[in-house]
Amino acid sequence: MSILLEVRNLSKTYSQQAGLFRQRSICALNDISFSLLEGRTLAIVGETGSGKSTLAKLLVGIEKPDQGEIILAGTAVQISHYRQYNHIIRYIFQDATTSLNPHQKVGQLLDDTLRFNTQMNVEQRRQKIRLTLKQLGLLDDHAEFYPHMFSGGQLQRVALARALILDPKLLILDEALTALDPSLRAQIVNLLLELQQKSGLAYLLITNHLRLIKHIADDLLVLHYGKMLDYGATAHVIANPQHDYSQKLISSASA
Amino acid sequence: MQLLDIKNLTIELTTPDGLIRAVDRVSLSMREGETRGLVGESGSGKSLIAKAIVGVLNKRWRVTADSFGWRGQELSNLPYEQQRKIIGRDVAMIYQEPSKSLDPTAAILDQLEEAIPDHRLEGPWWKRSYMRRRRAIALLHKVGIRDHQSVMQSYPYQLSEGICQKTMIAMAIAKDPKLLIADEPTTALETTTQAQLFRLLASFNQLKGMSILLISHELELIARYTQSLSVLYCGQLVEAGETASIIKQPYHPYTHALIKSVPGFQPNLPPKTPLYALPGSIPVFQHLPIGCRLGPRCPNARKECVKTPALERLHNHYYSCHFPLIGNKAP
Repeated sequence: MSILLEVRNLSKTYSQQAGLFRQRSICALNDISFSLLEGRTLAIVGETGSGKSTLAKLLVGIEKPDQGEIILAGTAVQISHYRQYNHIIRYIFQDATTSLNPHQKVGQLLDDTLRFNTQMNVEQRRQKIRLTLKQLGLLDDHAEFYPHMFSGGQLQRVALARALILDPKLLILDEALTALDPSLRAQIVNLLLELQQKSGLAYLLITNHLRLIKHIADDLLVLHYGKMLDYGATAHVIANPQHDYSQKLISSASA
Repeated sequence: MQLLDIKNLTIELTTPDGLIRAVDRVSLSMREGETRGLVGESGSGKSLIAKAIVGVLNKRWRVTADSFGWRGQELSNLPYEQQRKIIGRDVAMIYQEPSKSLDPTAAILDQLEEAIPDHRLEGPWWKRSYMRRRRAIALLHKVGIRDHQSVMQSYPYQLSEGICQKTMIAMAIAKDPKLLIADEPTTALETTTQAQLFRLLASFNQLKGMSILLISHELELIARYTQSLSVLYCGQLVEAGETASIIKQPYHPYTHALIKSVPGFQPNLPPKTPLYALPGSIPVFQHLPIGCRLGPRCPNARKECVKTPALERLHNHYYSCHFPLIGNKAP
């Protein structure tokens, strides 16, 4: 298996106006390095303000990093040129109900994604949409539905369909599983695992749910105030965390 | 002593399509000093039940029950004013998303002082406001907020979700309630704060004998902190009993699926293997199946399941299923 994504010494600082002439800088990410193989899952845990979401934003190119490099499949890239790379890395938002446009039919939504990002013609796009919907266990008729006509779990599937329709290599799930009901979550987890086994998709999972991480993640990265504390195989990190904060986090989840 | 004893609580909503039964004949009973969990997926009516107990549902909902016993007293026979008085005195509720349920236009101190009832304060009337402030500070200390000065002067938007939740708890315990209803108290919180809050609730339960009704969809959390458990599916009570025995041997296929879908309860499950999940999704309220509402998704549903099963009892374990999983008959 080859390395899909490698991140080296990534840093990001935000500056904030403090007074008339002074600027205060907030270090959101400090010297982060990790690598992700094809078909593997990396979980990132940390509390609010630990820089998890900043990291995700840097990876999809919503923000530019201050320092460090992102190496995608062997070549260093400027992900901020996101038009070139957004097929490879896709992002799923926390809440499917609010991240889909209520004015658009699902078919239209998926069609737009293809229209803006690929060279496919009308017939090819229609084929692709049908194929993707089927892959996610939705019906062809669902393309004519508006988002409000779906239940929560189906909406999450639609969000997944939007992400997967471009055949990405890496999927970033930002707390996408947290808000789901347990039986629904089990369904979505099964779907994700199946996709990973079939097509070698890699996941970057941002969540607080340690038990779930134990089940589906190969590697675990603990972030705390922008610093990387523990990084390694999930079972290894959970068994012997090195830093105080990771210890506290892990014991609070299993106590 | 029985603290709360509700028989066949039904909550209905009139819509243009007819009457929708959101909660279908649910019975709930709690002893004094008990912690009970109420588990169910979104739309299973768990928040509705809590709101019906406290009486904050709006007029569109029709709430009926065969009996509503409160500490040996039948509340449904009393006049409305008196019911409100008893419930207002003895029951407190914590809502989900604390930063949204606190008043955004008032400082924490004002909100907290408002929640302290007059009969909790001693001393002559001219000392009242001073006593009230002292009590507010003591309450904040009690829920584990040490820096009371800055918290009291803040507005809800200035505080973190965890601190907001703690102030909500402080407001709830200001009147020393007999029953504390916590409706998804930790959904918005971090893992470390979650554990802190549950320890806090557990300490109130042990030190003061306060009963706690914990509502959540996370079975794992509930199982760790409660003595008994009620499981709801789509407004129907599917199983109730002691937490440990339900987790060990569920009788209802839904509870069974719920337990098996949580990786934490399956220590022998190798990582990255598929989890057990029921097919299909939760029905919407406009199209509820007749009879047992799990019917279309249940792995061992048969012809009889179009009739609603009655609640049956085996030792201290209630279940409502025609074909319970007794004797290790896994589906």
